[in-house]
Amino acid sequence: MAALSANGTGRPAGPARVVVDGPEPLVLDVTPGEGLPAGATVIRLPERHGSPGPARFEVVVDGWRFEATVESAARAELRERAARLGGSRMAAARQVIRAQIPGRVVTVAIAVGEAVQAGQRLLSIEAMKMENAVLAPRAGTIERVGVLAGQTIELGDELVVIA
Amino acid sequence: MRKDGRPFRRILIANRGEIALRLIRACREMGIESVAVFSDVDAGMRHVRAADQAVRIGPAPAAESYLVVERIVEAALSTGAEAIHPGYGFLSERPALAEACVAAGIVFIGPEPATLHGLGDKLNARRAASAVGVPVVPGTLEPAPVDRPDAAASIVAEAERIGFPVLVKAAAGGGGRGMRLVERAADLPAALVAASHEAEAAFGDGSVYLERRIDRARHVEVQLLGDAHGAVVALGERDCSVQRRHQKLVEEAPAPGFDEARRRELHALGVSVARAVGLRNAATAEFLVAPDGAAWFLEVNARLQVEHGVTELVSGLDLVHEQLRIAAGEPLRDRVLAAAEAAATPDRHAIEVRLSAEDPARGFAPVPGTVGRWRPPGGPGVRMDDWIEDGTRVGGDYDPLLAKLLVVAEDRDMALARLARALDELVVTGIQTTVPFDRWLVDEPHFRAGDLSTDFVPDHWDPAPVRTEAAHRAARLAAEAWAAGLAAPSRPTLAGTSPAVGVPADDADGRSGWLASGRREVVDRWPR
Repeated sequence: MAALSANGTGRPAGPARVVVDGPEPLVLDVTPGEGLPAGATVIRLPERHGSPGPARFEVVVDGWRFEATVESAARAELRERAARLGGSRMAAARQVIRAQIPGRVVTVAIAVGEAVQAGQRLLSIEAMKMENAVLAPRAGTIERVGVLAGQTIELGDELVVIA
Repeated sequence: MRKDGRPFRRILIANRGEIALRLIRACREMGIESVAVFSDVDAGMRHVRAADQAVRIGPAPAAESYLVVERIVEAALSTGAEAIHPGYGFLSERPALAEACVAAGIVFIGPEPATLHGLGDKLNARRAASAVGVPVVPGTLEPAPVDRPDAAASIVAEAERIGFPVLVKAAAGGGGRGMRLVERAADLPAALVAASHEAEAAFGDGSVYLERRIDRARHVEVQLLGDAHGAVVALGERDCSVQRRHQKLVEEAPAPGFDEARRRELHALGVSVARAVGLRNAATAEFLVAPDGAAWFLEVNARLQVEHGVTELVSGLDLVHEQLRIAAGEPLRDRVLAAAEAAATPDRHAIEVRLSAEDPARGFAPVPGTVGRWRPPGGPGVRMDDWIEDGTRVGGDYDPLLAKLLVVAEDRDMALARLARALDELVVTGIQTTVPFDRWLVDEPHFRAGDLSTDFVPDHWDPAPVRTEAAHRAARLAAEAWAAGLAAPSRPTLAGTSPAVGVPADDADGRSGWLASGRREVVDRWPR
């Protein structure tokens, strides 16, 4: 496949900052211009809320599906600096556990105020005819339980907050 | 059989998804009208459009639609269907549907209700097989008293006698639902309750029992057909060892490494079980084959299996056509008997991979979502049994099977090469599927060597390095696409409209392999 150059596209030259989503997002600076590997599918996704943020792509490689955002590395650094100066603080002390799949809550095994260990079962969700356990990602104290047994949940719903 | 040679004039298909479409195709081939049923979320799906008529049977939850016997029978009566084909899953092995059909004067395409009682309850099947001298996996022959906390000690004692690890299995089960592997006595009570819940939800029957776990066993099953006149034949075996959560991912026929004598022996065991329970129509006898070659009977599935296609590709038969003929009272045809004769000496090899909406990097967790682009492969020796298309919403109400990719070739090596080629051609976007696992599998040395066991996936599948390598290539692709100015769609897609969703056109500049797409915000991304 022919290499595609950045010439004439209005894009700045230099490396691109790419963030590929996943359980541990991959952040890479890539200098384009080497051409396109074969055997993959790339789809440009619409910008979020029409805002001129990083470009978003869906990329399928060997059947793995990724979503990636791309912007120039220089611009990404500017944004990060601005964010740091703005004093935005990460609320790292609390962890919100959200539904990974839509389904129905079968059992809630914990209550507010309870101490939990990493790997402990918090609740179980029935989805696609299977019961799936939701486990504590780390040790802590249950600050909030957002669901009841029998409740129907959607993807991304807040289930439990561990403090 | 009717005077015009057709087994029936009109049949109702009591199922959805790929199997409903596959059954409707068989009806059309035989000149039979088909009636589809659908829940609200399935309105307009391919099986509904392919059928001659379609009847709405309720809202999305299966318990209020595909599992309601009265709705199904009512739909058959109101459309004048003479017979009902249940497919697999849902009501296929519920005696209630077969009985309701008898009461309504409709033919149930499957075994007699009494046979379903005998075979559908795994405990009955174990007792029946044991009675005719077929070796049965050691375990209990009566349901565990899950509802009685006072009986917990006796269940644990029973499990100790069988020997840990034990499997907790649903008496009404199938497809791995209501099944749990228990390593330690302490985990048994909780596993019994969880399995029973799952079984209750999936089958409406929470009975569970215990079975010894046979280490490093292969899962090999025998395809059976029986007619109303007492003839029963085996049409070959399938190896279905590659599983996750006790559910099959890959099936192939014949079983790699078996010689003719071993095939004949296994086929004969299957026929013995079928005769013992008076099988009619299609069924499958499942066995565990231990490393020493000993075959232990597991259960009989008294219905068409998901993986029946691999047997069709090797035998040259259409099992659904035969099911319809048998249901109309015809004896097994000469062609079927000849295929049974040849079943121990197959001259072809077929492999099926199940493409499901699951993430192979997260323990094959189901991931509902919306299909973007779906381009199934084609060419010689490739068969696709699918139901999805561009923009299909795959929800959480039903099982995550999207498609079955089957290949057939002169031998296993060529079948693997053909599978690899077909997987290269296949494009699916918008939703994570099991494709990465299949692509890895075709080159995996143990699989290629036929070194199989039901532990194959936990033993050999390590998704992290494979996925990480792909993520790096994805990053490079995204950067190149960005630099090349791959454009977002010029016409924004309104949320809630479906026709334009996920139907990308090839880039206008003729950059082949590049897709520019407008689609709804994806819902199946990693939750933040």
